[in-house]
Amino acid sequence: MEETPRNDLAVQVRGLTRAFGVRKALNDVSFELPTGAFLSIFGPNGAGKTTLVKVLTTLLNPSKGSASVLGCDVVSEAVELRHRIGLISHNPLLYPDLTAEENLLFFAEMYGLDDPKTRVRELLGDVELDHRRLDVVSTFSRGMLQRLSIARALLHKPDVLFLDEPYSGLDPHAVDILDGLIAQIRGDHTFVMISHDLDKGLELCSHALILANGKVVLFENRDDIDVEQFRKTYRATVGTGVA
Amino acid sequence: MAKSNSWRQFKAILRKDLVMELRTKEMITSMGLYALLTMVVYQIALAEAGDSFDVRLVMPGLIWVAFIFMSMLGLNRSFVHEKDQGCIDALLLSPVDRPVIFFAKFAGNLLFLMVVELLSLPVFSFLFLQGREGFGNPVWLVGVVLLGASIGISGVGTLLATMTVNTKGKDVMLAVLFVPIMYPLLRAAVGATFAAVIGGPGTVQAFWLYMAWVAGFDVIMVAIAYALYEFVIGV
Amino acid sequence: MKRNPLAEIMLGLGGVLTTAAFFMAFFWAPGTSYPDGRVDFAQKIFYFHVPVAEASFLVFIFTAYYGIRFLMTRERIYDTKARIATEVTLFFVLLTMATGILWTRVEWGVWWQWEPRLTTYFILTLLVIAYFVLRNSVEDEEKRAVYASAFGILAFVDAPISFFITRWLNSIHPIVFGGGESSGLETSMLITFIVAQVGMLMLGYAFYQLRLREEELRERLEALKIEIGD
Repeated sequence: MEETPRNDLAVQVRGLTRAFGVRKALNDVSFELPTGAFLSIFGPNGAGKTTLVKVLTTLLNPSKGSASVLGCDVVSEAVELRHRIGLISHNPLLYPDLTAEENLLFFAEMYGLDDPKTRVRELLGDVELDHRRLDVVSTFSRGMLQRLSIARALLHKPDVLFLDEPYSGLDPHAVDILDGLIAQIRGDHTFVMISHDLDKGLELCSHALILANGKVVLFENRDDIDVEQFRKTYRATVGTGVA
Repeated sequence: MAKSNSWRQFKAILRKDLVMELRTKEMITSMGLYALLTMVVYQIALAEAGDSFDVRLVMPGLIWVAFIFMSMLGLNRSFVHEKDQGCIDALLLSPVDRPVIFFAKFAGNLLFLMVVELLSLPVFSFLFLQGREGFGNPVWLVGVVLLGASIGISGVGTLLATMTVNTKGKDVMLAVLFVPIMYPLLRAAVGATFAAVIGGPGTVQAFWLYMAWVAGFDVIMVAIAYALYEFVIGV
Repeated sequence: MKRNPLAEIMLGLGGVLTTAAFFMAFFWAPGTSYPDGRVDFAQKIFYFHVPVAEASFLVFIFTAYYGIRFLMTRERIYDTKARIATEVTLFFVLLTMATGILWTRVEWGVWWQWEPRLTTYFILTLLVIAYFVLRNSVEDEEKRAVYASAFGILAFVDAPISFFITRWLNSIHPIVFGGGESSGLETSMLITFIVAQVGMLMLGYAFYQLRLREEELRERLEALKIEIGD
């Protein structure tokens, strides 16, 4: 805690505990993730995955310990940090009654972008929604929503992207599109993804983390992972009803 | 720079709510319809009172009953939008100071409430006050009460609706919290409206005394709602 | 978890004092009488009603105080304390309402009168009930605690405003203290009243502490269960 956060680390978590009364959603979680990595977080429901991401994205404060992202403390430097992170969730986080363009323009204003209109047009082109930009979002298919929500998350050019089960509820075609988009931006972003899908998570990641009961069961570099062994550990945490 | 940013964010949230409302007209129609329905109920309530009964005696109470319940429809709606698709998370994730959200939502709710109030008041007068004595004092005094009380309703309502949107049975919950908290404000608003409508010696003075209560409530309660907002929206 | 001897002493002492005040009210303090000379027997309820009413408001202060402490620290214990303070408030508020209604019936000939203090207590009752309804309708524990704290603080500020506005709107409730020349109490009446008031506050304190201990034990049990579950 006394050490200053290192800038070459995308995420630095030390003794992070998030508790209310006796219930601990996160219990003494520590790990470090280098810049440019792709972390997949696995674990049963209620293991604390969402809580961890909420702490890292400044939506919840730690009860004990510390966390920093890109060298910014999630509590004391929350506002700076918010300029540098983005979230893609299984929820589109878009206003259904606004058009695609209005949605992006709204968030562009929230981030205080210099030239919102140009940036929004550029992104709509990137996610191939230019032709639908004046349509109300409630008429969009699941896949289109997901693409637009990626555009929303990339508006302010964040360095770290948090993905909260981005694949859940997507049809195969939408999965392909999402894969393609992630591959496109993979190079210059750090990713932190919550995943229920073991195969998908392992396929994408450079680091893997298994959480159960708010504790780190395993944190490993992808290259060191023996997939069979990993599966067993994963099943043991999910299967024994630890959650 | 930080300040102008907050102002930009405030305008963006307010504009977004306006655009959505102008597109769907959800709040205005449900609130307006509610106002019309209460007038039907009032017609029933007053049916046996006879022609000699001066409706102006109960009118202030009637309109505030309609407005307080009407306001809750709008308050609820305004947060259901944020909650439905998790938009509030995206909003909180952006570098926006929480008070900006409070003031933008407060301003939007106040605006919608005032619009419906100003539309339904003439309808009320048209339906109930025709052929009777007019207002005893200038009509703009009623406008002053509307504004004063609506500030308190929207300010405190913004805080309470932010909470109740996350509860089971949110509509009922808002009423349970809202009505007792609003008691002093409503009492003063009815008093002021009465003074404005009835007229006569001393009523203008009474009006301003009541308005002092309204203003006092607004200042104290909205300040507290503002102070509590950051805690409430952060969980 | 240690026993809390102070709470138990307070419980005993409070019981003795309130009972003593009851007897003092009937056998020692002089009765007031109506203008026509009949003894105003109903006035005796004053020794019960007013202490209970004041205790209810005093305890409600703790709802707001611990609500603020909770929002500052996010320590669950403060929410528990605020909740228990509100429970005790509800208990006293209901007693106040009940005794008030009895008195109103005898003195004014009606069960209910929309006069300032009754109105205020009616609103206060609704606020306190709303506090618990709110708690019951929030699933997430922390959210529940935050919302309840916020509402408790808001209600605490709102109640006096309700009181002052209704009072300002012309009170017909007897104002016993500081209400001009004809009010005021004889020494023996004042002593009886003070005994009743102190006893009632002791009871309030004891109820609060004992309930708190119960809750603390419950939370410890919960912690142990979680530990065993690990």
